[in-house]
Amino acid sequence: MLKVWAILMKECRSEWRTRYGLNAAILFAVTSLTAVTFAAGRIPDRPDILAALLWLTLLFAALSSMSHAFVREMEGRTMLLLRLVASPTEIAVGKLCFNLLFLVVVEAVTIPLFLLLTGAPSVRWSAFLGILGLGTVSLAASSTLVGAVIAQTRSRGALFAGVSLPLLLPVLAAGVAGTLAQWEGSEIAPYVKLLTAYAVALLGMSLLLYDHLWED
Amino acid sequence: MIWRIGIFLWIAVTMTVALLFAPLVPVLHETTRVLYFHIPAAWVTVVALGWSMLQSALYLWKRDLKYDDHAAAAAELGLIFCVAATVSGSLWAKAMWGSYWNWDPRETSIFFILLLYGAYLALRASIEGDEKRARLSAVYSLVAFVAVPPLMFIVPRIYSTLHPDPIINPQGKIDMDPLIRECFFSMLIGFTFLFAWLQKLRVRVARLERRFAAEV
Repeated sequence: MLKVWAILMKECRSEWRTRYGLNAAILFAVTSLTAVTFAAGRIPDRPDILAALLWLTLLFAALSSMSHAFVREMEGRTMLLLRLVASPTEIAVGKLCFNLLFLVVVEAVTIPLFLLLTGAPSVRWSAFLGILGLGTVSLAASSTLVGAVIAQTRSRGALFAGVSLPLLLPVLAAGVAGTLAQWEGSEIAPYVKLLTAYAVALLGMSLLLYDHLWED
Repeated sequence: MIWRIGIFLWIAVTMTVALLFAPLVPVLHETTRVLYFHIPAAWVTVVALGWSMLQSALYLWKRDLKYDDHAAAAAELGLIFCVAATVSGSLWAKAMWGSYWNWDPRETSIFFILLLYGAYLALRASIEGDEKRARLSAVYSLVAFVAVPPLMFIVPRIYSTLHPDPIINPQGKIDMDPLIRECFFSMLIGFTFLFAWLQKLRVRVARLERRFAAEV
């Protein structure tokens, strides 16, 4: 537990030093938001399009920079050192916490901007944040695991989005449908159930597999 | 050799009986016949991907490359059968619904599965070293399989679909004409054995390839 905390702190500190990942993700989110609002204008009467655009923006902002949590270790040749001090599971859980925190920060910037710029109808906060939170957990869990795998391949970054996306499509589909349902005032329970089940399955599977990520 | 002839005769005879003598289902009319090909292909997809996941888990447990050969072969074959199911379903959709592709939940979920295993094979191709490739792709395969049950069985039941199983079979039990049922199950068996035979062949090729690479 202590080591997980230490890794989380280390991640935060090294991210804060350069803010490379955070800047990239937020810049990406803001740029794509601008492109979206420029292309579509204010569309408060089309919640279906808004829900899809919101999730796409978040997903791509996350995918554009989340692989570097592990790639950075490989490129800086610090992975071995990290493995000396902690077990693979501790490293991965630490990175997972960092990725979650990272996503929350990106969302805290992106979502108010999104709601403002697109003129979206007012949201039901508990439903909206619930769906967003569950989607975020799945996004962080899959990014951590896939990131660790991808960091050990020949192409590193290039495959990350291609390999993550199929895993995240069910999350994207349920997230979009749930967000739309909360705007339309209809039942969100089935989407919450689906998202919860998926997040739990993904997290559980990840915890079982982290130990197999590295080996010599 | 015996296997090959046996499977060929089995499928040929069943296909002949199914196409010439089995009656048609009222709603589906002439398109009933796709059933003998489409559903067995979808069935084998699930069997192959399940087998691939099982072999991946066995690899992580036992660390013997023969399990990895099985996992890779089953994923390749699963992808081929998935394409067969998708294409036959799409042709059927053109005849019944009037368009080849309409993002019906069934179409969406099978498309996700295609992407998932396409990504698996892309990932395999980009990892160097037999052990490392086997380990990392086993990790990905196990995570990817988390997405299969929701996609195959849950999503099509949450979202409203036009796919005929609720139309032909609203009570959820098999309620077909006896001859259709016999042909259908006979095709399921034939396809399963076809898969088993192809799988054996592919694994043998993989083993020979490795031996060849070791000798050169």
